[in-house]
Amino acid sequence: MTRKRSRHVALVLAGTATLALAGCKDDRVEAQAFPDLDSCIAASQENGLWFTEDDCRKNFAAAQKDFVETAPRYASKELCEQEHGAGNCGDDPAAQQSGGGFSFMPLLMGYMMGSMMSRGGGIFSQPMVRSANGSYTTPRGEQSFANNSGKGKVSPQTFQRAPTTLGKPPMTAAQVNQRGGFGASSTARPAAGGSRSMGG
Amino acid sequence: MDKPALPERPNWRDEADRLGFTFADMNGAPYWDETSAYRFTLREIEEDIENPSTELHAMCREAVANVISSEEWMERLAIPSEHRDFIATSWKRNDPELYGRLDLAYDGSGPAKLLEYNADTPTSLYESASYQWLWFEEQQKRSVLSADADQFNGIHEALVARFSTICEPGEDVHFAADASNPEEYATVETLAWAAREAGLGAHFCDLAQIGLTEEGQFADEQSRVIGTLFKLYPWEDMLRDEFATHLGPSGTRFIEPPWKALLSNKGLLPLLWDMFPGHPNLLPAFFLEDVRDALAGGSPSPSIAAAFAAARDQLAAGHVTKPIFSREGAGVTIYERGHATAFTRDDSYSHHPMILQALAPMPEFGGFHPVIGAWIVGETCCGIGLREDRARITHNMSRFKPHFIEG
Repeated sequence: MTRKRSRHVALVLAGTATLALAGCKDDRVEAQAFPDLDSCIAASQENGLWFTEDDCRKNFAAAQKDFVETAPRYASKELCEQEHGAGNCGDDPAAQQSGGGFSFMPLLMGYMMGSMMSRGGGIFSQPMVRSANGSYTTPRGEQSFANNSGKGKVSPQTFQRAPTTLGKPPMTAAQVNQRGGFGASSTARPAAGGSRSMGG
Repeated sequence: MDKPALPERPNWRDEADRLGFTFADMNGAPYWDETSAYRFTLREIEEDIENPSTELHAMCREAVANVISSEEWMERLAIPSEHRDFIATSWKRNDPELYGRLDLAYDGSGPAKLLEYNADTPTSLYESASYQWLWFEEQQKRSVLSADADQFNGIHEALVARFSTICEPGEDVHFAADASNPEEYATVETLAWAAREAGLGAHFCDLAQIGLTEEGQFADEQSRVIGTLFKLYPWEDMLRDEFATHLGPSGTRFIEPPWKALLSNKGLLPLLWDMFPGHPNLLPAFFLEDVRDALAGGSPSPSIAAAFAAARDQLAAGHVTKPIFSREGAGVTIYERGHATAFTRDDSYSHHPMILQALAPMPEFGGFHPVIGAWIVGETCCGIGLREDRARITHNMSRFKPHFIEG
C-alpha cells in the first residue's frame, strides 16, 4: 500500500525571533564593552581574561579613531538627536580638519572589544553610540546592546568597520531611513490594540 | 468521513512545549485538540480532496494566464497599475510557486467545494506538516490507531523536494516574517527546516528590518544582500508599502512569486466561476457590485447576467459576502433567505470591494464545523490540515484537528 505521509519531518521549533533557525547562527565571539578606558583597565587586572591593560589602551585609541572616521554625520542636531536620543549628540570633532561643512555626530559612549579567533586570535574593537530607543550600537547600527558595559558573545560582524563618513556630506532626513520599508502597509484598517497576523 | 473520540496522548502538552510548539493553547482555549480526530477513507482523500485540489490549482494557473493580459481583471483584483508589469513579467518568466492552501468545505459525500485559496501566506503549516504527523506516529505506536491506518501528509517531503527543484544547491534564502508573532515565526521556521534539508542556506529576517542598500538591493538586518526572499507578508501589502517602488529594480527573487498576488485575492473566486462555470468543486461567485441590484430584484451587470440567472435560486437560498482582501474570516457575512445569519465582528477589511459566493453547506461533526485546508506544494496537493469551530465562520482561534485515513 502506498504511504501517504512523509517518512520523517522536522519537529523542533527553535522559537521566536531568536534568529536561531538551526545552522544559521553565526559563530559567536567573546566580547566585552566598556564605557571608558579606565573601566577596561580596571577589568584587565582580573585573572584569566583574554585582554590586558595594553589591549585596552590600543583598542580604545583605535575605537576613538574609528569613531571619528565612521560614526554617522547629520545635517542638523535635531536629526542626530532623533536617531540617537536627546543630549546624546555633539558637534563633529573633525569638522575643522575635514573642511566638509558643519555637521553633528552622536557622542562616543564607550567601546566594545572582541576576541577574534577567526581573524588570527587578534583583538578588535568598535566604538559605541546611543540609539533613540536607549540602547547602544556600533556605528553600523545593526546590532544593539542594552548596556555599554558587561560581557557576552556577539556576532563577529559586530566588529566589521562601518563605511567612512569623514569628508562625506552629512545625512539629511531623507537619507536616514533606509529600513522599515516593508510591514507598514496593511490592507486591513489598523486594528485597535495588538498586532495583526500577517498570515492566514 | 467521521470524527471518532480518541484518547489524548498523556504527555502531549509537555511534548508541544519541548518541541517549541508554544501556541498549542491560545488565550486559555485549546488550539491543538486531539480529543477526537477526523477519519477519512482513502477513496475520500484521493478522489474527493487530493485530485480535485491539484486540479483546482491547475485551474488557478489558467486564471493567472488570463488575467495577465487583461487590464480589466487587473483592475478588478485591485492590482496597483504601476505594478502590473512587474507581476506579468514574473508570470512570463515562469517564476515557480512554492506553496498554498486551498480551503474546502466537504462532508464525506459529494464534491468538495472551494471556499478560498490562501495562495500567498498560508499559516498553520507546522501543525499540518509536523505536529499532526507526530500525533499520528505516536497514536499508531500506542495502538490507538490501527497498524494499517495512514495520514495524508507528505507536506514536509514535498517542501524539501520543491526547494531542491526551484533553488540552486547552496542558494541562500531569507525568510522574512513578523518576528514578534510566534505562529508566523513557526511557519517560516518550518519552511526553513525544509530548505536546509534541501541543501539551501536559510536565514531569518524580521520583516520590518529589511533595508535598502545604496545600490537599491534589499538587505537583511546585518546588511547582507537578499538574493532570494520568502516573505510571510501578503503581496497586496508589499505592493502598497514604502519600498514597493524598489521591488522590481532590487533584482530580488521573491517566494511566493509576484504573480501569486492574483491568486491570494478573493476576486479569484468570481474569476474561476467565470472561466469554469458549473465546475463541481466551485461555488457560484460574483463581484457584489455586479449583482447587488439583482439580489434586490433588479438586473445584474450584463456581463454576468446569464451566469447569475443560472445561480439565482442557489444564491437566494444562501450566500456569503467577503472582502477581496481579508484574513482569518474578517468581514465575512452569511445570508440565508435574505437575512444575515452569521458574521464576524472584525470588519477591518470591509472597505475593500466585496465578492459574493453561494453558501456551501457546512458539515457539522459534534457541534463543530470543519474546514479542510488542502496543501499545495509546487503544483500538487500533498496533504491536509483541518480547522474546526462551533461558529460557522472559521477564524483565527478555530481549533486545529488531526486526521487519519482508515479504510
